[in-house]
Amino acid sequence: MSLYYSFTKWTVTPPTPRTWTGIGNYTDAFTNIFFRRAAVTSIVMTVTAVVLSVLLGTLIALLLDRKFFGQGFVRTLILTPFLIMPVVAGLVWKNQMFSAAFGVLNWVLNQVGIESIEFATKYPRWAIVGVLVWQWTPFMMLIILAGLQGQSSSVLEAAKVDGASPRATFFQITLPHLRPYIELGVLLGSIYLIQVFDHIFVMTGGGPQSTNIPLFVYQRSIGGGWRFGSASAFSIVVVVATIILATFGLRVLSGLLEGEEA
Amino acid sequence: MSQGKTGPVVGQRTIGGYLLSLLAWVVGLLFFFPVFWMVLSGFKTEPDANGPPKMFFEPTTEQFSEVTSATSGLLSAGQAFANSFWAVSVSTIAVMILAIPAAYSLSIKPIGKWKDVLFFFISTKFLPIVAAILPLWIIAKELGWLNTRIVLMVLYTAMNLPLAIWMLRSFFAEVPKELIEAAQIDGAKLWGQITSVILPIVAPGIAATALLCVIFAWNEFFLAVQLSPSSGGATVPIWVTGNVTSRGNFLAKLSAASTLATLPVIIAGWLAQKRMIRGLAMGAIK
Amino acid sequence: MNNVKSTRSKPWLILMSVLAAFALIATACGSDAADVVGDAVDEASDAADEVVDEVTGDDDGDAMEEEGDAMEDDGDAMEDDGETKTIRVAAVNNGNVERMAELAPEYFTPDSGIEVEFTFLEEAALREITTRDVAAEGDQFDVVMIGMYETPQFGANGWLTGLNDFAAASDTYDIDDLIPAVRGGLSVDGELYSSPFYAESSFVMYRSDIIDNMPDAPTWEEVAAIAREVDTDEMAGICLRGKPGWGDLGAAFTTVLNTFGGTWWSANDDGSIGTSQVDQPEFAEALNFYVDLLNDAGEDDAANSSFNECKTLYEEGKVAMWYDATVAASLFPEDVVANTAFALAPTNVTEASGWLWAWTLAIPATAADPQAGFDFIDWATNAEYHELIAELDGWRAVPPGTRQSLYERPEYQEAASAFAQRTLDAMLAAPIDNPGTTPRPGLPGVQYVGVPEFQDTGARCTEEFSAAIAGTQSVEDALANCHAIASEYNG
Repeated sequence: MSLYYSFTKWTVTPPTPRTWTGIGNYTDAFTNIFFRRAAVTSIVMTVTAVVLSVLLGTLIALLLDRKFFGQGFVRTLILTPFLIMPVVAGLVWKNQMFSAAFGVLNWVLNQVGIESIEFATKYPRWAIVGVLVWQWTPFMMLIILAGLQGQSSSVLEAAKVDGASPRATFFQITLPHLRPYIELGVLLGSIYLIQVFDHIFVMTGGGPQSTNIPLFVYQRSIGGGWRFGSASAFSIVVVVATIILATFGLRVLSGLLEGEEA
Repeated sequence: MSQGKTGPVVGQRTIGGYLLSLLAWVVGLLFFFPVFWMVLSGFKTEPDANGPPKMFFEPTTEQFSEVTSATSGLLSAGQAFANSFWAVSVSTIAVMILAIPAAYSLSIKPIGKWKDVLFFFISTKFLPIVAAILPLWIIAKELGWLNTRIVLMVLYTAMNLPLAIWMLRSFFAEVPKELIEAAQIDGAKLWGQITSVILPIVAPGIAATALLCVIFAWNEFFLAVQLSPSSGGATVPIWVTGNVTSRGNFLAKLSAASTLATLPVIIAGWLAQKRMIRGLAMGAIK
Repeated sequence: MNNVKSTRSKPWLILMSVLAAFALIATACGSDAADVVGDAVDEASDAADEVVDEVTGDDDGDAMEEEGDAMEDDGDAMEDDGETKTIRVAAVNNGNVERMAELAPEYFTPDSGIEVEFTFLEEAALREITTRDVAAEGDQFDVVMIGMYETPQFGANGWLTGLNDFAAASDTYDIDDLIPAVRGGLSVDGELYSSPFYAESSFVMYRSDIIDNMPDAPTWEEVAAIAREVDTDEMAGICLRGKPGWGDLGAAFTTVLNTFGGTWWSANDDGSIGTSQVDQPEFAEALNFYVDLLNDAGEDDAANSSFNECKTLYEEGKVAMWYDATVAASLFPEDVVANTAFALAPTNVTEASGWLWAWTLAIPATAADPQAGFDFIDWATNAEYHELIAELDGWRAVPPGTRQSLYERPEYQEAASAFAQRTLDAMLAAPIDNPGTTPRPGLPGVQYVGVPEFQDTGARCTEEFSAAIAGTQSVEDALANCHAIASEYNG
């Protein structure tokens, strides 16, 4: 149905009859610099947030995959950010962490003699990525931890007996074993992160560096533009592009990991 | 933790081991800090919460009692939790009923090109949901589902299904083929295979998947606010964001409400976490 | 690998995957999700108990047909719940309105026999939902709270019920008591389309203990000079909205733009949009002024600040001056009010520049029982309601800005002495009919252009301006991008 609308010129307000425009909306999508800019933001945000949260998640999972005092408790602490509602996460970070006047981060900086930094203003994209990483690292950690703990201990024992170094064990046994889990994390992370909307809406309200595709589509449709035809077209372009990118990305990732396995 | 489970980390009792443990604690506390701050803010007065950071203050439960007090005509906490409970639990159960067989068939008895097919389906989730909202709204209106729990049950099922299938497939794929074959040789019927051999092994995976579905459905805001904003179907996120207004931030109240709203999933997370890890250790018998 | 047993199980497995797959497609297309997944869920629960022996192809077919039917039935799925008289109201979630909702069961329902079911939403969500509801005949609400921007547009589109006849028939609703500028902004050709619950203009609030040379009706030049003078590391000179959004930065900036002689679009003779005027020198002058002022003497994180952030900063003593909505004054704690003085919205080349905004109650044209809706609107917005609030919560808590009678009451003058007169002055001065120096397209409006296209343009342009305030792009680039955006709508 969205597909059908995407071929029409349909504006709710002012109310105009829906007319068939063919591929007009699509050519618009490719020529509109604002759409292209939003696409770049979407890609950069998603990729950096996914990569960072997978990396951090893996490291933390490795840290937690050991017996130590309070292990379960620490795991729960780390898991919690994932459970927070996006709107709330955005507001708490914006007003209580990043804020130049009242933020905890800047308070800490001031204590060590550094001037306040307007995190969310000067670096909107990275501030948002930071919050996303904060929320999604726990998710990656969980998945990868599950992978680590599903690892056969006899294989690891055998490796140890054979005198393999921890590093070699990690790269030759653990990492290949983790591959499907990492893939899963990357895939699910990308799916949800490319849809990020609430964080941006409450933290910056959009901007050249922080308007991503969902926000852009929102603005063109229910957020005020009420132009459903072109908004639908933009969305379809997004879907097709992401399918291509994601397929490609996953293949590359699989290839890389297989290469290490060899 | 079950016996003798070790990761690829050596020297647990050395100084390095203690340092790593310490590091884990530090990382854990850092990650938790904003949440801690949020909970703390829930016990502050509005001026304290909105002003400069304050660690020490006179705690008050005023915000908690204010957000939970019911006023007729307004969405009450009880109503919101009830709506959320039904929307989340029904949708999660429906997702599981649909996803378990689908994931099983995809992982254990693959049909041709299954990976591409599955990938195609999951990639449809890339469509920005804002673009689909108007068609969804029209359908919901025609069915008379606007402002009901039903619309959210159905949509959350659809929303979480791809995720669940994809995740469960990975867990099913972990089941050693030999086990299934052994069961088949023993003459177990399909249903018997599933219940007696496979399900116990993947139970933790199912628990983890269900937990994720619960989390996503519990925190879902956009569909809820667009399709079901009235008290007949309004969910907890709508209740929480009731404290975000255009005439002032009520961070203390917002924090108090968020703390309450997050509690159920945190508890669920706690429980499912333990189950998942116990089970996965059990499953690692290849 | 397939032995006999696994082959036997195949149809069932395939059925399940097809059903699941179908649900996935449904999600993708968005529209189909509702009923198709509904079927899928029903069938799946059956399937769990017993082997389903239907052929999968039929399932798909049925589902598709049903979906088609649902689409054709457009319009006759109206719900009819006539037995109890309940009206559903969607409103913005702020203190004044929520207080009204609390009082309704006790003070409205017993007399009228009408129960009121409220839905409270944050401003952006409310706007999305009410616009869709009245435009696409969602029929979810009997009374909707909309803004002054929407009312005349919706009214002119025929989406709202006119209120003049209802008002004339009511003993309690005095239409002539409404503040003229507000009434004018809510009317099309003399027909009132919504009733104001509260209204606001904009003015300058400043710390009287720090600033002693503020004129009553300052120019922007004077305000900027004072802001730069009092600006310190500890306390910024002025707080101005910098957060993207046509109702955030867009509102504050457009009042500046108006008084600098600039405008968004030229108007054709028939009132439609002419061409973008963003490339004109007045526009650049206004934006440069705004950005420079914020850079020199503005608040921290200006590009992410709007009403809420500025309110906090002002109350915490982090800014010496704040240009924003008059309603802020009634929200300050006592100790803040004591140190605050007020001045009219600053001007440059025009006589007055304050904005005009109101949250109002309206009845969608499709409402089943408009009289019940109006009975409620009457109760919530007439002068008796003001007295009720005064009696229960004190005069200061009365929703301001809608009725002249409120400002004539000595009790109110006394209780809100700090800001009542200034608010009324600002409301009366708001240049609703002629905000700038050139004719504008569309319906009247001060801090916005009364055309639907302004929402999109305003939202996206203010993103550009906000980035210029943050310093992540130059003012020139912001102007060029905004000109491109506004030109998309050139008539």
